[in-house]
Amino acid sequence: MFGVRAIALLGLGLPLVAQQDGSAFFEKNVRPILVRQCLGCHSSTSQPVMGGLRLDTREASLKGGSRGPAIVPGNPGESLLMKAVLHTAGPLKMPPGPRMKDADAALLTQWIQMGAPWGDAQATAAPAARKFWAFDAPRPAPLPEVKNTAWATSPVDRFVLARLEAKGLAPAPPADRRTLIRRATYDLTGLPPTPAEVDAFLADRSPDAFGKVVDRLLASPRYGERWGRHWLDVARYADSNGLDENLVYKNAFRYRDYVIAAFNKDKPFDQFLREQIAGDLLPPSEDLNTMYERWTATGFLSLGAKMLAEDDPVKMQMDIVDEQVDTTMRAFLGLTVGCARCHDHKFDPIPQKDYYALAGIFRSSKTMENFKVVAKWHEYVLAPKADRDRLAAHEANVEAKRKEAAALTSTENRKLTAAAIERVGAYLLAAAHVKRDREVQVAPVENAAGALERAAGSFDAGNAPREILRRKANTVPGVKGPYWAEYKVAVTQAGQYQLDVLDQEKGAGTADIHVNGAWMLRGAPPIQNREASPEVDGWSFAAIVPLRAGENVIRLEHASRFPYFTKLMLSPNTLERAPLNIVQIAGRYEVNPGLLEQMVDHLERSNGAPSSVLYAWEILGSNAKLDAWASPAKALFAGQSFSTPEDLAQRYSELFRKAAAEGANTQDPGLKALYEFLHEKFGPFRAPEGARRFYAAEARRELERLDEEAKQLEAATPDLPRAMGVSEGAEIADAPIHIRGSHWTLGEKVPRGFIQALGDPLPQALGTHESGRLELARWMTAQGHPLTSRVIANRLWGWHFGRGIVASVDNFGRLGDKPTDQPLLDWLALRFVEQGWSMKAMHRTLMLSNTYRMSSQYNAKAAEADPENELLWRMPRRRLEAEEIRDGIMSVSGALRLDMGGSILKYKDRQYVANTSKGGEVDYDRPIRTVYVPVVRSSLYDVLRAFDLPDPAMSSGSRDSTVVAPQALFMMNSPVMLTHSLVMADSLLQRAGDSDAARIREAYERALSRPPTAQEIDRALTYLARFETEWKGDRRHAWQSFCKSLLASSEFAYLN
Amino acid sequence: MNRHWNSYLNQTLSRRELLRVSSAGFGTLALAGLLGSERAQAAAGPLDVKAPHFPARAKRVIFLFMHGGPSQVDTFDYKPLLKRDHGKPLPFARPKVVSSETFNLLQSPWEFKQYGQSGAWVSDLFPSLAAKVDDICFIKSMHGSNSRHGGALLELHTGSDTFIRPSMGSWITYGLGSENSSMPGFVTICPTQSHGGANNFGSAFLPAPYAGTAIGSVGIAARDARIPFITNTETPRRIQRVEIDYTQELNRKQLEATGPDHALEGRIESFELAFRMQAEAPDLQDISGESEATKKMYGLDNPITEDFGRQCLMARRFSEKGVRFVQVSHTYKWDQHTNLKRDHQQNAAEVDKPMAALLTDLKARGLLEDTLVLWAGEFGRTPTAQASDGRDHNPEAFTVWLAGGGVKPGYSHGSTDDYGYYSVDKKVHFHDLHATILHLLGLDHLRLTYRYAGRDFRLTDVHGNVVKEILA
Repeated sequence: MFGVRAIALLGLGLPLVAQQDGSAFFEKNVRPILVRQCLGCHSSTSQPVMGGLRLDTREASLKGGSRGPAIVPGNPGESLLMKAVLHTAGPLKMPPGPRMKDADAALLTQWIQMGAPWGDAQATAAPAARKFWAFDAPRPAPLPEVKNTAWATSPVDRFVLARLEAKGLAPAPPADRRTLIRRATYDLTGLPPTPAEVDAFLADRSPDAFGKVVDRLLASPRYGERWGRHWLDVARYADSNGLDENLVYKNAFRYRDYVIAAFNKDKPFDQFLREQIAGDLLPPSEDLNTMYERWTATGFLSLGAKMLAEDDPVKMQMDIVDEQVDTTMRAFLGLTVGCARCHDHKFDPIPQKDYYALAGIFRSSKTMENFKVVAKWHEYVLAPKADRDRLAAHEANVEAKRKEAAALTSTENRKLTAAAIERVGAYLLAAAHVKRDREVQVAPVENAAGALERAAGSFDAGNAPREILRRKANTVPGVKGPYWAEYKVAVTQAGQYQLDVLDQEKGAGTADIHVNGAWMLRGAPPIQNREASPEVDGWSFAAIVPLRAGENVIRLEHASRFPYFTKLMLSPNTLERAPLNIVQIAGRYEVNPGLLEQMVDHLERSNGAPSSVLYAWEILGSNAKLDAWASPAKALFAGQSFSTPEDLAQRYSELFRKAAAEGANTQDPGLKALYEFLHEKFGPFRAPEGARRFYAAEARRELERLDEEAKQLEAATPDLPRAMGVSEGAEIADAPIHIRGSHWTLGEKVPRGFIQALGDPLPQALGTHESGRLELARWMTAQGHPLTSRVIANRLWGWHFGRGIVASVDNFGRLGDKPTDQPLLDWLALRFVEQGWSMKAMHRTLMLSNTYRMSSQYNAKAAEADPENELLWRMPRRRLEAEEIRDGIMSVSGALRLDMGGSILKYKDRQYVANTSKGGEVDYDRPIRTVYVPVVRSSLYDVLRAFDLPDPAMSSGSRDSTVVAPQALFMMNSPVMLTHSLVMADSLLQRAGDSDAARIREAYERALSRPPTAQEIDRALTYLARFETEWKGDRRHAWQSFCKSLLASSEFAYLN
Repeated sequence: MNRHWNSYLNQTLSRRELLRVSSAGFGTLALAGLLGSERAQAAAGPLDVKAPHFPARAKRVIFLFMHGGPSQVDTFDYKPLLKRDHGKPLPFARPKVVSSETFNLLQSPWEFKQYGQSGAWVSDLFPSLAAKVDDICFIKSMHGSNSRHGGALLELHTGSDTFIRPSMGSWITYGLGSENSSMPGFVTICPTQSHGGANNFGSAFLPAPYAGTAIGSVGIAARDARIPFITNTETPRRIQRVEIDYTQELNRKQLEATGPDHALEGRIESFELAFRMQAEAPDLQDISGESEATKKMYGLDNPITEDFGRQCLMARRFSEKGVRFVQVSHTYKWDQHTNLKRDHQQNAAEVDKPMAALLTDLKARGLLEDTLVLWAGEFGRTPTAQASDGRDHNPEAFTVWLAGGGVKPGYSHGSTDDYGYYSVDKKVHFHDLHATILHLLGLDHLRLTYRYAGRDFRLTDVHGNVVKEILA
C-alpha cells in the first residue's frame, strides 16, 4: 500500500538524487521538516517526550520509541515514521492535525531510501520551547483602550468593546427593562420574574436599580438551585448508578443539597474544590455539621457510573479510578487525561506516567467497600462517633447471627448428604422406580361416580384467604407463611384415590400436598416467563394417594403464598398400576426426596455417558457394552457379575461407603473417582434445594429462631443518615504503569503526584499514610495554578453568555478551542482569585457590565461581519433549559412549590431501579423544582431527556440546545403542559371581577413578563371565542388552550 | 451561543454554522473527514439523508436482540463431542475471568439436524427458522470481552464495556441520517431497562437526535408501546390544529420581532412535524391493516408468539418506511443458569416463528435485499454445566446470525473448539461485527468519527476488521 503511494510521489516531482551528498540533503530538506513538525514533542527537551520517541539524533530515531524503531534506513515502506506520516499505520497519524504535505512526505521518503543520512552530529535542537498558553499562569494585562468610553464602564466592557471596535462594530443598544429583568431572573434563579418584581424594577428609577435586582436574586435561595445545577452537570450528578447495574444512589441527594447550599452560601470556589476532592482530610473541625458537609462533598468522587458487576475485581477498581481521574481533571482543570491510561496523551503533555501518578492517589482512596459482583460503594454515616460505633457494633451482631445460622445450615446439610452417601444403592433403585413411574401418564378423572369434590375456599382449617384469586399472591396481611389449608374428607372404603385439581394456576408455583400427615406431593416451582406461558384451565392430575376409611385430612401448603385453584376432587383409583411421584417413592425407599430428585436428574442427563462412574448402572437393560466404560471406577467391577439390579445397587453402596471412608487420599483410582463423584459441587449429593425442610425439627426451630433474631436485629438497625463519599484506603501505595491500560501487563511503579507539565511538583514523595488527595486539592488551588481559576472563570462566563471564552469549556488542551480573548480570560481568572474565589462577586462583575445589559437585537451589518456573535455584538438569545421550562411552566401556573432539598425517591439505598417503566417509584408530577427531581441514569425523566440534559454519566459544562419535534410533542401533549395550562386557566377564571381582557393581560404578564398589545388582546379574545365554539362551549378548555399556547410559544421558551 | 439541531427538519445549516458548532466544542460533527467534501455541503439537519462513504449493500438494519445470552451449543453450533464426552471434565483451561464456577461438560438436551441446500446445523429449538437457513449467514466464532450482562450488553450495543459510548444505531443514523422525516432514524421497541438500560440505545456524546427513540419498554406489551408524548388524549385533532395555528401565529410574530433566527424558524417547523408525527407514528404501529395471513405467519394468533411477533411485524413496517435502525428485544429471558431445558425451549418457541416470518416477509417484499437483519445475544453459554441443568455466561464463544443486506446467504463463518467453549478459527469480535455492519451500510468504520473531549471517537474504538468473507 505504502509503496504505491511513495513511488507515485517520487514520480511526480522530484528528480532522483542518487549521488547527492546525504548530509547536505538532510540539512537542506529534512531537518527543517523535523524541526517544524516533529521535534516539539520528540526531542530531548520535549516535556514529555511523546511516545518515548526522539527524532533529534539518528541513533534515537533508529532506536525509536515505545512502538519500536521509527526509521528503517533504505526502506521507507517499513519505516514507522512514514506510515505515521502517510496515515497508513492505523490510528497512529502524525503530525497531529492536517496530514503532512505530499512534497514533505516525499522528501522524507527519499531521505530514508538514501539510508537516512544525518547531518551535523549534534542533536538537532528543538524549536525554542514555546509553552502552550494554557500551561502558563494567567498574566495580568492592561485594560485595552477603547473609543466609546461612555459605554465601556466596566473592565469587562473594555475587553469586549476593544474587539468590537477593532472590527468596526458597535455593541447593541441596552435591553429594555422587562427583557433585562426576565433575563437576569432566569439566569440567576431559573425562574421567570413575577409581575410584581417586574413592576418594582420598572418603578425603581435609581441608577443602581439593576444592581439591586442582581443582589436580590443572588440572595435568594433559588440562586443555588439554578447555579448548583450548573455544577451538577459538571459533577455528572445522578441518583442511580446506571451503568451495568442500575442501583439507586439513595444518598446522592445529600451531595446535591451540599452543592446548592455551597452556592447559596457563596462558598469560595477553592474551598469548594478542596472539600470535594479531600473534604475528609481537611483539618478536623469541632463542629459535627462541618464534618458531615465535608464528607458529603467527597461524594463528587463517588457519583460516577460504575461497572458494579465486573467479574474481574482489578479491572473494576481501575475503571472506577479512571472515572475519578478523568472527571476530576476535566471538571477542575479542563483536561482530558483518560487517554493516558493506555498511552501518552497524543496532543497534550500528559505522559502515561502522570496518569498513573494520579491514579495511585485515587487507588489509595476508598470509594468502594468491595469489588464483588454486585459491588458496594462506601458511604459515610453522618452521626456522632458514639452513634457510628453503636451502629458498627449492631451491624456486627447481625452479621454474627447470620454466620451462626449459616454454620448450622452447613452442619445440617452435611448430615443430610452423609446419610445419603451411606445409601447410594437405595438411591439408585429409587431413581429407577421414578423413571419407570414417570412413563405412566395419568389423565385427570374429571367426573366419576362417587367422586368427592371440595371448593378451594371451603377448607376446614387453615390460614389461607377464603377467597383465592387468580394471578394474585393470596396472602393475608399480618400472617406469615407458610400458608396452608386442610380439607377433611370422609370415605367409606380405604384404598388408593386419585387426587385432581381444577383450574390450577401453575405459573407462580403450586402447593405441597400432605395426606393424613404424610407428604404426598412436592409443589412445583414457579415458571420463568409467566407472561408468555398461558395457564390452561381445567382439571389436572396431582397424585394417587392412600386414604383410610373414615375421615382423612388433605393439606395444601405453600411457604409464602396460597396458589390459586378452584376445586379438589378425590375419586377411587382405577389404574392397575398407580404411578407414584418422587416424594412417595422416596418415602418407600427411605431416601431424601430432594436428593433423590437430584439423582434422577443426574442420571437423566448422564444417560450412559461412558465417563460416568455410574455407567454400569446407567446401561442396565440397554445394549451398551461394559467395555466402553471410560471411568477408573470400571476396575472396581472387574470380573464381577450381577444377577439383579439390587445386587448391582448393593455393590455400588458398598463401594461408595468404602470410598467415603477412605477419603480423598485413597490410592485406588476407582475409589478416588467415586469419592470425587460424591463431592462434586453440582453432583447429585450436593445439599438439595430448600434443604431446610429436611432437617431435624430441632435444627429447623433453631434456624427459625436465628433467622427471626437476625431479622429483628436488622430491623432495629439505627437508621442514621448516610452520604456517599470517599475516605483514605486501607492500602496506600503507588500504582504501576498499566501497559496499554491493561492490568495484566504492569510496568514500573510511578510515585503518586500530579501533572508535571503544569509545574509545582510535590516537594517530597507521598508517604504510606496519605493517599495524596489533600495534596492534589491544594496543588489545584495553589496560587498561580495555570488552569483551575481560568477553567472556572470560563465556565461562569459561558453559563452567562452562552459560550465560553474558551468555547470548549471542558477542554483546555491542544485539541480544545483557543481562547477568543485570552487577556479577558486571564483578567477574569485573576479577578476571581482576588475576590476570594467568590462566585457571587463574579456574577456581579459580569452582570453589571454593559455587555450583559445589551439587547439581543439583530443587526444585519454585525451579523454579516460576525455571524456567530463571537465578539458579542449583542446578547445571545437562548432557549430555556429543561429545568427552566418545567419550573417556568409551574411557576407561571402558580403550582410550583419551593420545598428545598431531600429525596423523593421511594427506593431504598442500593435497590435496583425498577426494570420496567411501570415501576412508578418516582413522583415526577410533584410540583417541586426540577433540580430536586431524581436523575435516574438510564431511565431519565422524559422532560430532562427531551430538553437536552447532558448524559448524567459524563461530566459536561455546556448543554446542547436542540430544536426537535419531540419537544413540540412535549408542548402539545405532555402531562406537565396539560396539567399546568389547566391550573393556570383555572386561576385566571377564578378572578371573578376581571374582564376577559384583564385575564389575558394577567396571563401575558405572568408568562411573558409583559402586557399584551391591544391587538394581541383582540386576537386572544377571538381565539377564545373560536375555540369555545369549536369545542362545545367549553370555556375552561378554551382558556387552557390559550394558556398552553402562551407557554408553548417561542417567546416563552427563548430569552432575549 | 447555543447549538440548534433542527432534527427531522430540512432546515439547512450552513457550512459556516457547522464550523461554529465545531468551534463551540460541545462535541462536533466529524468534520475531519467531511470538510471540503460534498458531504459537508449537503449536511443539513442532523437526520437528513447523508451519502455513505462507498456504495452500500444495506440501507437499514433490523436487530433482533436476545437478552440474556442464548446458548450456542444448544442452537446453531453443533458439537457432537459434547454429547460423547458428557459428564467429563473440560479437557482444557477455563478463561482467567469467569462469572461463576462451572462443572463438567453438559450435552445439549436437543438434537441437531442439517437443513437446506447449505446444510446448516440447527437444533430442534428452531424448527421454523431452520427452514430459512439458506437465507442466513451464521458467525459461529464470535467472542467478546465481558462475562457479565451489563458489560456485555454495552459491548454489543456500543463497543465499550468500560464507558458510556454511543450505540451502534446512533452511529449509523449519525452516518446516514434517516429516510423518513416524520419518524426518528433509530427506534428501539420495548428495550431493556437493565444492564446498561438506555445506555444501550443512547447517543452518549453524539447529539441527541441520534439517540434511539424507545417505543415502550420492557414489561410493556408490544401492543401498548408508544413514542413519548405522541398520544394526544385530550383534544380532538381538528381542534388541536386550531390551537397549533394560534401557537404558530405567536411564534411567527416573535420571529418577525427578533429578526432572522435559525432556532426560532426551526421551532416553527418542529411543531408542524410533530403534528404530522402524531398522525403517522401511530399509523405505522397500527397493524390492523395487515392481512390475516400475515398476522398468522408472525404468530399473532398465539399467545406464545404474539408479543415478539408483533415486535417483528412492527419492525418490518418501520423499515419499510425508512427507519434506519430498528431494534427488537426479546428481553432478559435467555439467561439459563438453571432450567436450561425448560426455559430455552420456551424462549425459542416465543421467537422462532416470528423471526422466520420476518425473513419470509422481508424477502417477499423485496426488502431483504437491502435490509440487514442481525440476530445476537450479548454472549453465549458455557458447554460446561452450572448446577445440573444450566450453563454459565460465556463471552469466549457464541453464534450470531445475519441475513439480507449484502451478507452471504447460506454461509457459516468461523468455528469454535470441539466443545464450543472458545472461538478458534476466524474469530470475530464485537468490534469486527460492528466494522462489518458499518461496511455493509457503506460506512468505513475508520472514517466514521466524532470529535469529543479532544479525540476522534469511533464505534470500533481503535479496533475492528471488516469480516470480508461474509460479504456476498
